[in-house]
Amino acid sequence: MITEWQSLLPEKKLEKKYFGILKEIVIDSKLCSHCAACAAVCPVDGISSGDQPIDFPNWTEKCVDCGACIKVCPRYDYKPLSGLGDYIEIFSGRSKRFVGQDGAMVSEITVSAIEMGLIEAAIFAGRSEDWSTKIVTIKSPEQLKNRKVTGTKYSYADVLIALKEAVLRYNSVGFVGTPCMISAVRKMQKTFKKFERVKLAIGLFCTENFYRHDLYDFLIEKKSVNLKNVVKTDIKKGKFIVTLKDGRKISFSVKELEEIVPSGCKVCQDFSAVESDVSVGSVGSEEGFSTVVVRSEAAKIVADYLKEKGYAEISQTSVDAIKKLCDYKVKIHPYPKKS
Amino acid sequence: MIRVEKVELNLVESLKRHVEALGEAFKQAIKPDRVTIEYPRERRRYPLSFRGFIIFNSEKCVSCFRCAQICPANAIQMEAHSKPYPSIDYTKCIFCHFCIESCPTGSLNSSKIHDVAFRKMEEMVVSANMMVKLPRILKEEKFTVDVIVKDKYWKLLRKKEMDDLSIPPIKVEVPKKIVTCAEPESCLGCRLCANVCPREAITVKEIEVAKRVVSYVLKVLTEKCVGCGLCVRQCPMNVLKLEVVK
Ligand SMILES: Cc1cc2nc3c(=O)[nH]c(=O)nc-3n(C[C@H](O)[C@H](O)[C@H](O)COP(=O)(O)OP(=O)(O)OC[C@H]3O[C@@H](n4cnc5c(N)ncnc54)[C@H](O)[C@@H]3O)c2cc1C
Repeated sequence: MITEWQSLLPEKKLEKKYFGILKEIVIDSKLCSHCAACAAVCPVDGISSGDQPIDFPNWTEKCVDCGACIKVCPRYDYKPLSGLGDYIEIFSGRSKRFVGQDGAMVSEITVSAIEMGLIEAAIFAGRSEDWSTKIVTIKSPEQLKNRKVTGTKYSYADVLIALKEAVLRYNSVGFVGTPCMISAVRKMQKTFKKFERVKLAIGLFCTENFYRHDLYDFLIEKKSVNLKNVVKTDIKKGKFIVTLKDGRKISFSVKELEEIVPSGCKVCQDFSAVESDVSVGSVGSEEGFSTVVVRSEAAKIVADYLKEKGYAEISQTSVDAIKKLCDYKVKIHPYPKKS
Repeated sequence: MIRVEKVELNLVESLKRHVEALGEAFKQAIKPDRVTIEYPRERRRYPLSFRGFIIFNSEKCVSCFRCAQICPANAIQMEAHSKPYPSIDYTKCIFCHFCIESCPTGSLNSSKIHDVAFRKMEEMVVSANMMVKLPRILKEEKFTVDVIVKDKYWKLLRKKEMDDLSIPPIKVEVPKKIVTCAEPESCLGCRLCANVCPREAITVKEIEVAKRVVSYVLKVLTEKCVGCGLCVRQCPMNVLKLEVVK
């Protein structure tokens, strides 16, 4: 029976409420990765995310000064991670059960983990008709037959907000996220025990992400493409490729998107999500396969299970190709920024 | 209970029964027996488990809404008094008394009154202050009837007395609960629990080291906590819970 307990506060680098500090050091300094970890833990639900920069209108009044946001922010005291990181094994796979962005190995790993009982549910970023991201809690394989749930959305999603709700409800959960989200969850796990319930963190290879409205406007203005008519977006070999409902493909160099790359992505050097349990991407695999980088013991058990069950076709991976992109990301995103 | 048995077809037995029957007919002709109760001149003595008109004790009520939530007929509405108290709509009440059984403090209780009459439909919504004592009913009876079952025979025993229609309150053990922290390692330090507490039963102390606040110490004042659970619902990390204390 605990009736007396303590909550430690982080050091204040500025004489302000904690959100004020986060705002000045991370958001206004253009370091924010938009992972929304701060919004997830904020006890007064004051921090807004979605398709706009992270903000806390009224923070001067409403912030309760608990410091939770600073404790979990991956960009506070930012030390960029990079490289391929530690791993147990790397392979390429194509799911026999699901259709996804590449080899649908993210979906396959998730369902296998649920089947094995490692996790009860997993948080995915699905989408609606107009490509705004929509969080889906996966509990059964049927949900992943929906092609709007699998596949890559090149825009920010509030995965961590849903993940926080999920850890309150389930004893074991998994989630899929970009490298910044993976790092945020590791920080959350270090500071708040509840997040130990996150048993599987699936990282995605990532160069950069976008605000949906920026991508939407860009495609309309520059390419006369309405996202509503798009069935798939992809980045392959330096090209952004949109596949339309009528089967047409429009592709252009990702360099053209430079103007809409959010500032927070421009300081990120973590391509392979080095802190994940398992990372998945397309680089390094042949067409239609996903590259799987198994890092933790838990993920290894899932990988072995799905191979043994014959759920996926397995193939060789070019580790050099992944390393090349890891290095490339460090090169194009220098930190500290050269002014 | 009386069981009908197969009649013996032997002559002596048959004669005996005929005599018995004639005797009974003779007796009933002179002093007739009745199995019916002449309500309202007589009233049967109901058992203490009788499910009748519901009585309410506002002093015991903690406004937990359980009665309203459990009511299968949706007959209970919480109405605003100094705090929320139940009202019962007798157009809907099916006398299942789930409300009484679900009440954690024993503030609801049954009575032996089944004959509540109302003049208008609107009057059938009985508010809490109308339930605090037995309703005034017109009692015309002179006799209270007990049903006596002895061996195979039962009979009605009429006594010239009025039955007390109240039922003594059920003794309910109300366990004292206080809030405790089940997982301090997940506390955000937001202190919303302390802010929401109506009794100031959770205190916050700021610990300073070298003029810098380094932590908050949260403490439950066990004597002040009434176990209302408001903080438990408020906690954004679900780390608080109510525990029974001896
Ligand atoms: C913003 C972004 C940039 C990427 N950049 C690269 C890259 O440069 N090089 C590379 O090789 N791979 C990149 N990927 C990963 C790649 O596009 C595929 O997602 C990956 O190969 C998995 O494919 P799959 O078929 O196995 O996954 P699927 O089984 O199709 O599952 C896709 C998973 O991705 C999740 N997801 C989709 N969009 C988001 C989002 N916005 N935020 C969080 N989760 C999301 C879904 O919830 C789902 O779990 C990127 C992914 C994203 C989201």
